[in-house]
Amino acid sequence: MATDRTATVTWQGSLLEGAGTIHEVGSGAFGPLDVSWASRAEEPNGKTSPEELIAAAHAACFAMALSSGLAQAGTPADRLDTSATVTFQPGQGIIRIALGVRGVVPGIDEAGFAAAAAGAKAGCPVSKALAAVPEITLDAALA
Amino acid sequence: MPRIVREAGITWEGNVARGAGAITAASSGAFSGLSYSAATRIGNPEGKTSPEELLAAAHGGCFTMSLASELTKAGTPPERLDVRCAITMDEVEGKGHQIVHSEIVAHGVAPGCDEAAFAQAAEAADASCPFSALIRASATVTVAASLV
Repeated sequence: MATDRTATVTWQGSLLEGAGTIHEVGSGAFGPLDVSWASRAEEPNGKTSPEELIAAAHAACFAMALSSGLAQAGTPADRLDTSATVTFQPGQGIIRIALGVRGVVPGIDEAGFAAAAAGAKAGCPVSKALAAVPEITLDAALA
Repeated sequence: MPRIVREAGITWEGNVARGAGAITAASSGAFSGLSYSAATRIGNPEGKTSPEELLAAAHGGCFTMSLASELTKAGTPPERLDVRCAITMDEVEGKGHQIVHSEIVAHGVAPGCDEAAFAQAAEAADASCPFSALIRASATVTVAASLV
């Protein structure tokens, strides 16, 4: 079954002088969130940006996929702390995503955890959607 | 222009079927502790966000800024843009869950811009938005644009 998720954005004015709001998402879980070019390209000053939202989507998808893979291998995780860092080069696009994870997983060794993390990185739907990013790195270790 | 770096952090506890996670915007602090789970990602959201909803917000935000930029370049900066983005994830046979489509619908108020020029600006925005370029490699993207 297909799953749809939606967001609405309002913008007023030019790119450099204007400002926008991610004012509603389908779930109602967050919003309104202000966005602007200055806070996207320079210091965030408390405002999110498309790149930060991509980081949130990717780290969240990766955590869920890793949790699934570890459970299937018979070593479910007690806790996973994941992160994604998205690097955007204006004029070039998103050039790198660095995924990181520290896990508390009873009964697994470092090599097994690293293999599960690599599988989750390759298989999670957001990784597949962002496969055109030139470089996606992974730093995985047990906590 | 220098590189722009943005980070998010997630904590996940438990297995995938019964576990739950919390999502935090680590660079800006604009949101924190947003909970999500497998059930609410695939089924009814029940007030919880998901990776696909975050991508919808990212693509909507990215496209909107690109459209503001294209209209400004054309000498008709927008007074207001209202953009909706919907991301569709589907189960593809033999490949599991995949993000298959992103649909953008844009409505604008841009003095001096006619429908044809607005549609052209939307097309240019889709081409220049970095997220559109990425997602188009693995999914379809449709853009519908009209003046209010």
